[in-house]
Amino acid sequence: MTGTILVIGVLALIGVGLYGMMILHNVLKLVVALQILTKAAALALVAAGYMNGQLQLGQSLALTVIVADTMVAVVGLALAVQVRRHFGTLDTRALSTLKR
Amino acid sequence: MTPSLALIGLPLVSSPLVYFAGRADRRHAAWSRIAALLSLLIAWVLFVQSATQFSMSGALDSTIGMITLRIDGISLLLTAVVLTLATFVTLYSDRYMMGEMGEEKYYALVIAMSGAMIGLACAADLFNLWVWFELMTVSSFLLVAFYCQRRLALEAGVKYLVQSAVGSVLVLLGVALIFAVTGTLRLDELALAGESLALIGAGGLFVIGFGVKIALVPMHTWLPDAHSQAPSGISTLLSGVVIEAGLIALLRVIGALAGIAESWGVLLLAFAAINMLFGNLMALRQKQVKRLLAFSSLSHIGYMLLGFGIAFYAGTPDGAAGGFFHLLTHGLMKGLAFLAAGALLYGLHLAHERHDPLTVNDLAGAGKRYPLAALSLSIAVLGLGGLPPLAGFMSKWQIFTAGFETQDLVLMLLVIFAALNSVLSLAYYAPLVNRMYRDHPSSAVQQGKPIPLSMQLTLIGLAVLVVAIGVLPSLVSWLTEPAGSTLMLALGR
Repeated sequence: MTGTILVIGVLALIGVGLYGMMILHNVLKLVVALQILTKAAALALVAAGYMNGQLQLGQSLALTVIVADTMVAVVGLALAVQVRRHFGTLDTRALSTLKR
Repeated sequence: MTPSLALIGLPLVSSPLVYFAGRADRRHAAWSRIAALLSLLIAWVLFVQSATQFSMSGALDSTIGMITLRIDGISLLLTAVVLTLATFVTLYSDRYMMGEMGEEKYYALVIAMSGAMIGLACAADLFNLWVWFELMTVSSFLLVAFYCQRRLALEAGVKYLVQSAVGSVLVLLGVALIFAVTGTLRLDELALAGESLALIGAGGLFVIGFGVKIALVPMHTWLPDAHSQAPSGISTLLSGVVIEAGLIALLRVIGALAGIAESWGVLLLAFAAINMLFGNLMALRQKQVKRLLAFSSLSHIGYMLLGFGIAFYAGTPDGAAGGFFHLLTHGLMKGLAFLAAGALLYGLHLAHERHDPLTVNDLAGAGKRYPLAALSLSIAVLGLGGLPPLAGFMSKWQIFTAGFETQDLVLMLLVIFAALNSVLSLAYYAPLVNRMYRDHPSSAVQQGKPIPLSMQLTLIGLAVLVVAIGVLPSLVSWLTEPAGSTLMLALGR
């Protein structure tokens, strides 16, 4: 039962994260969607640990993921600050001069 | 502490020290460059010690708690390429980065990224592999968007961050799937797990996730932007080792899921064909030199995949060794090409405080004004095009012979396709050389400033390596043969 709930949670988070990544055009919101997606992966590790009886290992892996993914979030937010400063907007549609 | 463990740990410890060395005396950020060079020098000593140990006793395991780090043939090869390019880039960046905002961070990040790649090459379990991969990715984000006051660099940085981060989440989901099904994350134990649908699904997630970093078409769209907007030293590292590190990570994991090696082989061969053709066709229409070189990286990833695909599909050891050989020569040649293009960019634009891109037209007549840089760029691109007696010819040759050794019709046709692609690539490499030597100097060249000595010396060093490996390919077989046999061992062939 718990396993099923965990799997549904993982799938829901993946869905929300991926959907957000696809429809959003704001750098900040993209970072948030990315966070949701990564949390899905962290939860997936816990769920995997729960299923094969190594819950503690799964949890410690998830903690490591949270640390690593904070780095990404920090860099993403720093980029967002610079984008706002130099483009005057956070809209990713403004970031398309290199397209070809 | 064993030399192998020290080799992995050293860059991580020295990276903050490099940063503080630059901060200690604000007027002399050059201290951080000296500190970086010093730590690379120590890393080289440790590398030689580890390589000697490896040649005597085989793979070296070192454990910290539950984590095992293993130096085997593949790790040695990637470490050698990483250290070579990082050393040349650090030497080269002296004048190129001088006076840029955050110069000390540049060197600290180069060291951190190199350390992450060495660690990635040594990781013996899946989760560790992901952690090193993520560390490498994060440090490369910062380096791609290094010119953070420039719009184009920011744009490239955001694109790169979003795509890479999604890729690494997919990898992590694959890790979780494997952990759930098999209960283990150790690569050598996974090989015994047999085959199941879940493992194939996880393999698919790895191919897409790592594929973003390797720039498998169609997950490549970040690459030309990132490579062309980063400082030239970083383009060198990105193209020469970062995408290859992703490739090695992928080979490690799908090598461990070797129960269905043949199907993975087919997948690699398919990506090889697409990457070669697409990279070459896109490179043909580029007007900026660094973008052109970036697209040519796509096609070269294709040649490497061809070698590895042959090894996976038909079990030919020469394919694996050839793939690794091309990984090494491509690193050196593409490194030389980006550094030479960077030197010309510096002379023509950056020294005038202009941040314009270097276009193919700018290069007209550069051969007279900048003989050394033009010669290095020519050696690099002709080597990439596969002209004998340069390094690129030898490595492609080994891959092509591996294809014919299999006596498999499809593989032989694929090799012919690759050879034709190699000819096609000359259609954009040769005009570069032609421009530099046969055209009248462009206005940019006429007003160009001289290229500093430190850049010229690094160009000479790398060019000598490219020619030497082309004339005597056996110079590096002590690296490529063990790497090939390590992969074949993982595949159980």
